[in-house]
Amino acid sequence: MGFTPNSNQDCMLAWEAMPDALQGALTPRQSEWLDGHLARCDACRAQFAQQQRLQRAMSLPVDLPIDAEAGLKRLLSRIDNPDLAKAPEPSRPVGWAGRALVAAIVLQAIGLGAMGAKLWSLESAPAYRTLSREAAPAPAGSIRLVPDPAMELADWNALLDASGLRVVEGPNKVGGYLVVPTTEAVRREALLQRLRSTRGILLAEPVAGTP
Amino acid sequence: MNEANARTADAIDRALLQRMAAGDHAALAALYRSYHGRLCRFLSRLTRRPDIIEEVVNDCFWIAWQHAGDFRGDARVSTWLMGITYRCGLKALRRQGVELADDLTDDAFPPGLGEGTDPGEDRELRDLLGKALALLSADQRVVVELVYGVGHSLNEVAAILQCPVGTVKARLFHARMKLLNVVPALSGETREQGS
Repeated sequence: MGFTPNSNQDCMLAWEAMPDALQGALTPRQSEWLDGHLARCDACRAQFAQQQRLQRAMSLPVDLPIDAEAGLKRLLSRIDNPDLAKAPEPSRPVGWAGRALVAAIVLQAIGLGAMGAKLWSLESAPAYRTLSREAAPAPAGSIRLVPDPAMELADWNALLDASGLRVVEGPNKVGGYLVVPTTEAVRREALLQRLRSTRGILLAEPVAGTP
Repeated sequence: MNEANARTADAIDRALLQRMAAGDHAALAALYRSYHGRLCRFLSRLTRRPDIIEEVVNDCFWIAWQHAGDFRGDARVSTWLMGITYRCGLKALRRQGVELADDLTDDAFPPGLGEGTDPGEDRELRDLLGKALALLSADQRVVVELVYGVGHSLNEVAAILQCPVGTVKARLFHARMKLLNVVPALSGETREQGS
């Protein structure tokens, strides 16, 4: 095949017109000119044949196993439940700035937790106690919860309801509550983990000494 | 697809987008089914991983669903969707730590991939195409797919890739030169000579 697009001016024009010709995007006049050139030029005719074959090859369906209906089902589910269905982004390498930011957030969270726990202890353990009255022990399975002040009441109620908890005391000075499970079937560790990962919960700690 | 057919298809797509903007799930499903094959094939020129391709297609339609009402109509719906898909594809590949598959070898398009579904001639054509595509850079493969596979004009391809039309022309030129000089069999010469 001796064709190169530098062969001559007509071949250059034909070369440029071929993609449009394949898409049927040439005007009748352009199309007539190209047909005439192809009839005279073997190299361009061979090149156009290659282009047609390439177009046909490129139009073959994708050769990978991808199920449209399964994908559509997942998309609709994602649209119906945007928060639940959003796939977690895989971890990726972060730079020093990202690592510094993460460290700062962790430090802030630890500080906040320590401060909340300290304030709670000040609140829940009075400085004095009358000798005639014993300190009331916290109910079994009690958990200290400190919600974010910005948390909506509806969200707070929904969280308690979904977690099977009820408030037995609070709020104290730092806005903390003492909550207990409404049923015994709740696994405490799992519950604590879930509470800690809930947005709007600043602190979730078991009360020491309660089973 | 000729110009008249393209206009008709675009009118249908626009009507579906309008219904999507009003929250019509059936319209979304119709557009999804209509474009799924094209988008998957387009993305398969960037990566051979079906999981990434599926994720990108759904990301594209997630965005289309949310922004259907913002579609200004300056371009064909097909151009708009392809542009979203291309950007989502690049983003997904970066997120996965996957480089653009510039270095695809013949192994990426093994012979016989379409066996069982392709007629004999198509299977041979697919094998030849695999060899040909392995010679091109990812950028060249994308342009070739958009022009020959999807049927976009060079101006539309420039809009999809967000680059000058001169860049698209250059990529197509170099792709065609490689195909011409290295894979003459794609022109049917081998078949004709061998028969």
